[in-house]
Amino acid sequence: MSALIIFVLLFALMLTGMPISISLGLTVLIFLFTMTDVPIEAVALKLFTGIEKFEIMAIPFFILAGNFLTHGGVARRMINFATSMVGHWHGGLALGGVMACALFAAVSGSSPATVVAIGSIVLPAMVKQGFPNKFGAGVITTSGALGILIPPSIVMVMYSVSTNTSVGKLFMAGVIPGLMLAFLLGLTTWYLARKNGYPRLAKATWGERLLAFRKSAWGLLLIVVVMGGIYSGVFTPTEAAAMAAVYAFIVAVFVYKDLSLKQVPKVLLDSASMSAMLLYIITNAVLFSFLMTSENIPQAMAEWITGKGLGVVTFLIVVNVLLLAAGNVMEPSSIVLIMAPILFPVAMKLGIDPVHFGIIMVVNMEIGMCHPPVGLNLYVASGITKMGISELTVAVAPWLATMMGFLILITYVPQISLWLPNLMYN
Amino acid sequence: MIKILDHLEEWLIASLMGVATIIVFVAVVHRYASGLPIPVVQDYLITLNTSWAQELTIYMFVWMAKFGAAYGVRTGIHVGIDVVVNQLNTPWRNKFIVFGLLAGATFTGIVGTLGAKFVWAIGHTDQVSADLEIPMWMVYMAVPLGSYLMSFRFLQVTWQFIKTGELPKHDHSFVEGLDEELSKEPSPALATKGASK
Repeated sequence: MSALIIFVLLFALMLTGMPISISLGLTVLIFLFTMTDVPIEAVALKLFTGIEKFEIMAIPFFILAGNFLTHGGVARRMINFATSMVGHWHGGLALGGVMACALFAAVSGSSPATVVAIGSIVLPAMVKQGFPNKFGAGVITTSGALGILIPPSIVMVMYSVSTNTSVGKLFMAGVIPGLMLAFLLGLTTWYLARKNGYPRLAKATWGERLLAFRKSAWGLLLIVVVMGGIYSGVFTPTEAAAMAAVYAFIVAVFVYKDLSLKQVPKVLLDSASMSAMLLYIITNAVLFSFLMTSENIPQAMAEWITGKGLGVVTFLIVVNVLLLAAGNVMEPSSIVLIMAPILFPVAMKLGIDPVHFGIIMVVNMEIGMCHPPVGLNLYVASGITKMGISELTVAVAPWLATMMGFLILITYVPQISLWLPNLMYN
Repeated sequence: MIKILDHLEEWLIASLMGVATIIVFVAVVHRYASGLPIPVVQDYLITLNTSWAQELTIYMFVWMAKFGAAYGVRTGIHVGIDVVVNQLNTPWRNKFIVFGLLAGATFTGIVGTLGAKFVWAIGHTDQVSADLEIPMWMVYMAVPLGSYLMSFRFLQVTWQFIKTGELPKHDHSFVEGLDEELSKEPSPALATKGASK
């Protein structure tokens, strides 16, 4: 009963269009004031302890690193390297775009940032070469989603915060699914390009490839710093994120010189404000999950579901449908922070691996970012291509279908996600 | 007056972000540098204690988060579900927007007050933080200050909206500096190969 009241209240408040963080917090306050005698001081305490974890601090650092990298130079060199490797196949520049997205995803933790960084350079170049606008938009919108699946990933940090799963394991688990999805998206691109006879590029010689690689090496080295650092145990994920931010700063300002020192305060301010927004959602989501726990809602749900005899298979279908539906109206961080504390206990009770469950959630979030009405990637792509959202929706359809197929695969074949982390951590 | 506050706010969160990054960076470098067997340097480095770095970073980010959230209200970065509200006709839509903004002001006002009470209570104890040993009430001051500022920002935005009908809107698809990037020479690889097609 209280669960019903809480959720109706939350949805009603959310639908008025107020910030999600505020509606979460207000729901908690209203419910505690009117329905319970939980001392309000308990809430005050949660307000302070909500974000006092060093693990959460990876988020601002990854955002800062990403903002230093989106300023063009790193992305452009990665695109050159990617097109020199795969540009001579069907789909040429588009395939290069997919690969560049995958590479950039390995240094950036955010999907929209990946779309912006790669898309704003590749899309105009594709149109100039005679690709239809909507083909390019479809490729980049969906490939950009790799940003949160290929580590580092801000959404994975969010999941690890709300479920106490190891960030390192989650990052590791994202590697193989990320590469696989990149391959599948590339395959879709290749097939469509071959069917429609889109332009290809001349095959680059190995000398040209080596040159392109050397030029992009500064950016690619960041993958080694972050991933290598975390797995060898040299850095904790948060430290790795801070190192990435400093490294990205040096590369952007002193090596590639895309950024003058005068612009740095603006980058700092933008990153701080974006991080503060996410941290504010986290604070309120912590409050919300405190309310859920104090009302025993996740446990009640877990019992109800196991009592109904729902197996793993059915439960995962329900989870996917629920998350995809939520992806229609909310952005990933909020979904993970609201849904994970509710669904996680059930998943544990059914014996699903916490890391695997995290990857399922992340892949769902990826799809959510690419379809309307609230697909952040779609908005970003529409900003770059000046295409309407409905037109873009049609444009992404083939790749979206690929991603749906991939989601089913990830959901029911846990080994894809778990093989690598188990290998590394045992 | 408001201008000074605006600048102070921006300056505060940007420097917290920058300094926190540098602190973690230095702490990590120190950890490994003090492991290197360089005679005099190593002895010196070992005498430095950087265990407070982690705690300081956390507190800096808590402050950044609270004040950054207030700054975010002014720039419209806090996302909500506006698809439903945008379907309504303008008078109704405006009512919902004002309601949302006032709800934000109320919530942050309540939180600020709760926080102030909490800080008041803790100020009368001699609780200090684990590593830095600074009084906890100073750390926790971020909540009342940040929340009241945020409440003030919500009221400010409401007032502006009623007066001018405009909301601050953060454009998530805009990235500084990319326009210049595009107007630069197209990268040689793309240009030459594109031409050979």
